[in-house]
Amino acid sequence: MEMNNINVVDQVHDPTKSPSGLRILWKEIVRDKLALVSLIFLIVISLSVFTISLVLDQDEIVKVDLFAINEPPSEEFILGTDYGGRDVFGQLIIGTRNTMLIGIAVTLMSGIFGVAFGLIAGYFGGHIDNALMRVLDFFQILPFTMLVIVFVAIVPKYTIFSFALIFAAFSWMGIARLIRSKALQEKELEYIKASQTLGTSHPKIIFREMMPNISSLIIVTMTLNLANNIGIESGLSFLGFGFPETTPSLGTLLSYAMNPQTLEHRWWIWAPAAVMILVLMLAVRNVGEALRRATDARQRRG
Amino acid sequence: MAILEVTNLKVYFPIKAGIFNRTVDYVRAVDGVSFVLEEGKTYGLVGESGSGKTTTGRAIIGLEKVTEGKIVFQGKDITKKRARTRELNRNMQMIFQDPYSSLNPKKRVLDIVAEPLRNYEHLSKKQEKMRVQELLELVGLSPESILKYPHEFSGGQRQRIGIARAIALKPKLIIADEPVSALDVSVQAQVLNFMKDIQKELGLTYLFISHDLGIVKHMCDEIAIMYKGRHVEQGTKEDIFERPQHIYTKRLVAAIPEINPRHREKQFQFRKEVEKEYDAAYDDYFNKDGLAYQLQKISDTHLVALPEKG
Repeated sequence: MEMNNINVVDQVHDPTKSPSGLRILWKEIVRDKLALVSLIFLIVISLSVFTISLVLDQDEIVKVDLFAINEPPSEEFILGTDYGGRDVFGQLIIGTRNTMLIGIAVTLMSGIFGVAFGLIAGYFGGHIDNALMRVLDFFQILPFTMLVIVFVAIVPKYTIFSFALIFAAFSWMGIARLIRSKALQEKELEYIKASQTLGTSHPKIIFREMMPNISSLIIVTMTLNLANNIGIESGLSFLGFGFPETTPSLGTLLSYAMNPQTLEHRWWIWAPAAVMILVLMLAVRNVGEALRRATDARQRRG
Repeated sequence: MAILEVTNLKVYFPIKAGIFNRTVDYVRAVDGVSFVLEEGKTYGLVGESGSGKTTTGRAIIGLEKVTEGKIVFQGKDITKKRARTRELNRNMQMIFQDPYSSLNPKKRVLDIVAEPLRNYEHLSKKQEKMRVQELLELVGLSPESILKYPHEFSGGQRQRIGIARAIALKPKLIIADEPVSALDVSVQAQVLNFMKDIQKELGLTYLFISHDLGIVKHMCDEIAIMYKGRHVEQGTKEDIFERPQHIYTKRLVAAIPEINPRHREKQFQFRKEVEKEYDAAYDDYFNKDGLAYQLQKISDTHLVALPEKG
């Protein structure tokens, strides 16, 4: 029973002593080489994209230059130019940044709302759960793509933030459902009952007691959602309902390929963006899958 | 003085079925239970698993909705959730059965034990830390362990953290729901004796829920035997163990293991006899649904569930 004092002091500063979910997640990623490479790749890409885009001038890049239309890659334009004479490399960098920003913003917004919604529904159960889940069902049957297209058409001038907000308003249901089912399980555990008898308020129990115990599930789901959201944003932009050409994103670059001439003869306009989307989604997904495995002790590799 | 009075307590859980999810029947977990707890005493609630003893405890502390009946605590009716003031809640605490799931694994011992203090007493960080250390010392844990996490402790130590948390607010009544059934026998005695010590020190009243008659005999002043949601017998320790009247109690008492090996044969015969009597007299002691009858008074302290005709 008596631990010697030196040990006690050590444990305070040694995070390995706690069953920290974060540490298990990290270990799993390190064990899975593919996930580790993906994570490093993601960090490198995002760092370089964000630093380079600081130097680049978006207005300069999206300016139409009729004397340099559809130029193949050269020394002046590393990835050539598009039909408006705009530098594809610059668009790719800024497009990647915008796409990632939207992906992250959507994931965060839908994640925060969905987690809160699911926790509240699961914790209270009964009639509150019933009512909240019917609201959720309603949102889930709405045709997502069509509604986003309509909203994008209605909102006169949209920014990254407002686009992400519209997007998030229709993509919080999956995570809410998942978190609710976990919360339903969790609230039956005795530490929750104990908190109730100790006079702790419901919000405090939900967010301070229960949420930390399902944090790994939240992290995993949000990571996997991020991969999805990047894909969906690109898809919408490709269809022309994302950003206008003045705000490049990976999807708008890709949509130039709708022109058969471009598709056949000017690969430098769309191929880098396509590869970027593919690689980004795969990398995020690899990391997410490793995290998901880490939450289930039977599937762990580490 | 009676600190807790429970009158005809019923807790039913609905059974839902069919496409409209209608309530077709009820599980009568607690089906008309009455008892009175005197201040400073230990009241034992004994029964087999599924007899409703835990549900009784949970209903009293407000974790389970009361279907019918009345719970009076410190002279106030607390049957309705709204009637439970913060002050009343503060005076009633619970020790949970499973020391592994009753402590939040993500919180340090300091935060676990300080949780009730943070809710009721507004102490400075320093005072709070001191109180927690005092409490830990009281339950026999080293005060340095405040920064550790629950998984770094053994089962017995964890249970004592749970006890420290329950006594942090100096409650009047503690509902101990099988506080030692998850612990191994060597640790059980340690925790039980410790509970007795703090009872004297703080003047606590215990509602002690258990299925272990040996422990109940050691701990309790008064005992109620529960079967299928009803009390079959209720009385002082002596009433129950020396003069069991109900056939179910007799059988239960006969099942206590005999330590002396010389009496083994005798004990075996005795059990066989009791078993025979139980089979023969079953219909006399239980109604046609297999439930116990209403309690009848046979002495000042002793109540037994017997059919009306006596």
